Amino acid sequence: MTLTSLRTSLARTRTAAWLGWQVEGNWADPVLFAIYVLARPLATALILAVMYHSVKGHGVESAVFVGFFVANAFHAYVNTVLVGLGWAVFEEREEYETLKYVYASPVGMFTYLGGRSVVKFALATVSMLVTLAVGWLLLGVRWDWAAVQWLPLAVSLAAGLASTLFCGFLLAGWALVLTRAAMVVLEGTTLASYLLCGVIFPVDLLPGPIRAVALALPFTWWYEALRRFLAGRGTSGLMERFSDAQVLIVLVGLTLVFAVLARWGYFAFERRARQLGRLDQTTLF
Amino acid sequence: MKTPRGTTAGAAPALSVRHTGARLFVQAMLARAYVRIMGSLREPTWIVSDAIFPNLGMCAFVLLYRALGAPRSYEALAVVGGVLTAYWLNVVWGMGAQLYWEKQSGQLQLYFAAPCSRMAILSGMAIGGLVATVLRSLVGVAIGAWVFHIEVAAFSPWVLAGVFLLTMVALYALGMTLSSVFLLYGREAWHTANALQEPVYFLSGLYFPIRSLGALGLVTAGVLPLTLGTDALRQVLMGPAAQGLLPLPVEAAALAGFGVLFLWLAGRALAYLEALAKREGRLTQRWQ
Repeated sequence: MTLTSLRTSLARTRTAAWLGWQVEGNWADPVLFAIYVLARPLATALILAVMYHSVKGHGVESAVFVGFFVANAFHAYVNTVLVGLGWAVFEEREEYETLKYVYASPVGMFTYLGGRSVVKFALATVSMLVTLAVGWLLLGVRWDWAAVQWLPLAVSLAAGLASTLFCGFLLAGWALVLTRAAMVVLEGTTLASYLLCGVIFPVDLLPGPIRAVALALPFTWWYEALRRFLAGRGTSGLMERFSDAQVLIVLVGLTLVFAVLARWGYFAFERRARQLGRLDQTTLF
Repeated sequence: MKTPRGTTAGAAPALSVRHTGARLFVQAMLARAYVRIMGSLREPTWIVSDAIFPNLGMCAFVLLYRALGAPRSYEALAVVGGVLTAYWLNVVWGMGAQLYWEKQSGQLQLYFAAPCSRMAILSGMAIGGLVATVLRSLVGVAIGAWVFHIEVAAFSPWVLAGVFLLTMVALYALGMTLSSVFLLYGREAWHTANALQEPVYFLSGLYFPIRSLGALGLVTAGVLPLTLGTDALRQVLMGPAAQGLLPLPVEAAALAGFGVLFLWLAGRALAYLEALAKREGRLTQRWQ
């Protein structure tokens, strides 16, 4: 890639990010928008905290709960970026009926989605930080900063965020092919990922076949890595069999697999959507 | 034989029969309920999503209790709350946001041009949505019983049916009120409906005893029928293990009060906002 083409790509991504911000945030004033962005993740965090406080008299270790709370905070990336890219496709086509114009523009769909993901990453980061801050300051969800393993944490953060983006492109590609069913798939991904990735419980508690799916997802390993390297303690049971290094290797490996899958899958879905004439097919859901 | 308009039967089409008053109200309500029920059955993906999705969150919360080593009664609390999420989602998306969808699809003006009460249409939507959701919520009950092996105390089916009915009337009457409020909204309707999910789950104590919220629990019980309904249904099904907020008869009376209040509010709000929307010309504006 030449310097000029790199500059062009960056400029297009920046434009797409600006446009994404306008789409995401121009319906409300900033205060209302902030409340909207934070209301759902904070409410979920509060539900978890109250559930924990309701039963903590029954011999529950606080470190176990801290791990679940941290993973729940980082799950904002999956909800906002991964699923959000699919919603971007759905909204552009069904809600605003502008998908075909984006597609025909010089920016192109892939770059446009990349730009939209920048805003979604920013929103998810705010959500994650506020959730952790509320947990730390108001709910007593604390960990030992001296025990944080910074280098493995940085690697796991990079791999986890990259996985989020790659899977987001894959889901956006799938949404291009689907019409009305896209809404169901996107909602289902949001809810199923919360269950499948063992965000708030050890994956051991899942039935056998579902546990196998959970272990094939990078997010399951990402959350385990975050629990170990940030909160200081991983989940018990199955995950205890894996050393810290093994958790990181599996996470990075799965990230690479999903990178390849997303690159191939997105363009395969896009070609299929064009063949089926789905780019401007509205259903009024 | 004469029709009400004085024309000869057989010579005039059925269209000439004019139904008014209560009969028209009931007919319009049943017609809208029929459309809602049949419409919900025609899209297979919606059947799956409505039946399965609300229960996925419930499963995660039940497994959290299991991971934390909580007593089994807490899992039952979460299952009862999880089953009720299906109704709340239907109230928010199927009632509250419905007029917004109708506006987007260009049908809203047909409702206002129809020669029947708008309350009849809303009531039909509520009844149809309730019937469709009852069928779907049985999936949550099945998951609770057969997957998580939730046990409940001995209870009277009549008391359960009564409390359930009071809860549903109050919830769907609130949905009717919300639909009128959403009429003025454009894209905000979508965002508002989104924002009314997890925060309401928290404030209603769907996954924990509402008593855990302390004074906040009492405040929300005084505002949200879902809070009282969840607590009352838990008391019927679980007895003392439900850790009820208020005595059951008090909660039942409050739910009945909520039902009457929100039905009245729905009628008032619809009349006011319909006039406002017409004056401001928003009834046919999409994307606004």
